Amino acid sequence: MAHEAQPDWQPDFEQLVDLHQSLVFSLALRMTGDRGLAEEIAQDVFLEMDKHLAKLESADHARFWLRRVTMSRSADALRRRRVRGTDLWVEIEEQHGMRIEEPSSPLGSRLEGLLATLPEPQRAALVLRYQEDLTPDEIAATLDAPVATVKSHLQRGLKLLRAKAASHLKEYVRGA
Amino acid sequence: MVHEPFDEFELELKQALQRRPAPPSLKRKLLAQRAARTRSSATRNSFVLWQRLAASVVLIAAIGGGLVWRQHEQEQRKGEEARQQVLTALRITSHALDHAQTQLAAHDRESQNFHVGGPQN
Repeated sequence: MAHEAQPDWQPDFEQLVDLHQSLVFSLALRMTGDRGLAEEIAQDVFLEMDKHLAKLESADHARFWLRRVTMSRSADALRRRRVRGTDLWVEIEEQHGMRIEEPSSPLGSRLEGLLATLPEPQRAALVLRYQEDLTPDEIAATLDAPVATVKSHLQRGLKLLRAKAASHLKEYVRGA
Repeated sequence: MVHEPFDEFELELKQALQRRPAPPSLKRKLLAQRAARTRSSATRNSFVLWQRLAASVVLIAAIGGGLVWRQHEQEQRKGEEARQQVLTALRITSHALDHAQTQLAAHDRESQNFHVGGPQN
């Protein structure tokens, strides 16, 4: 994805951390479901950014780079966990999303928990779409995937999430 | 679908997926790690500098040694050439002396024959 270079833009490490730590941490948290791991990933991503600071051409480029590397690192972390035989999201599904704290609302918390049970590619597309407000084209560039694939993940993920929400919302209404 | 405006469910999802604040410790840990990495990088750079310096000294010594050896070789070759020239000159001189001695001996024999026999007429 093309980013216009800003000749006057001077990347400042601390400023970029202040500005984007919430973005990076939230992406990693929603992809891994583990606060500790998300913090480790965020640290890795920012330290990696520090090495490539001179190559970042603009604020948009920095934001794009951070999203891309965070998604990639999160996928690597999940892969490593799978290899080690621990599927974090199985635990989370069993706990109905209770691993992710600070819910915005009971319904929001339930939706966030249900999102966690989706397959990884669908979850990645939905997180970038609804957390970061990216278009399918931007998601495709971030994940380095074809736009058609991203659209398919978004469509299927949303459909699956609606179906799960319909089921769980009944429980929620009953429980209220 | 995704290009259309968000429906109620999507808006609820968007609300649920608002960014979470990062732990306050994140920035502190990052800055500490960055500082540690800078220190370790400085140490590594210093080590690399000393390595380069040592390599330069070895290289200069090798080149210097090579030059001295080459000069020594050249002088040795020149000395050998001079020795050969002297030997050639001595051989020529010796040959010339031999020749002169042979001629003198022949001359002496002719002189003796002349005095002993005398003129026949």
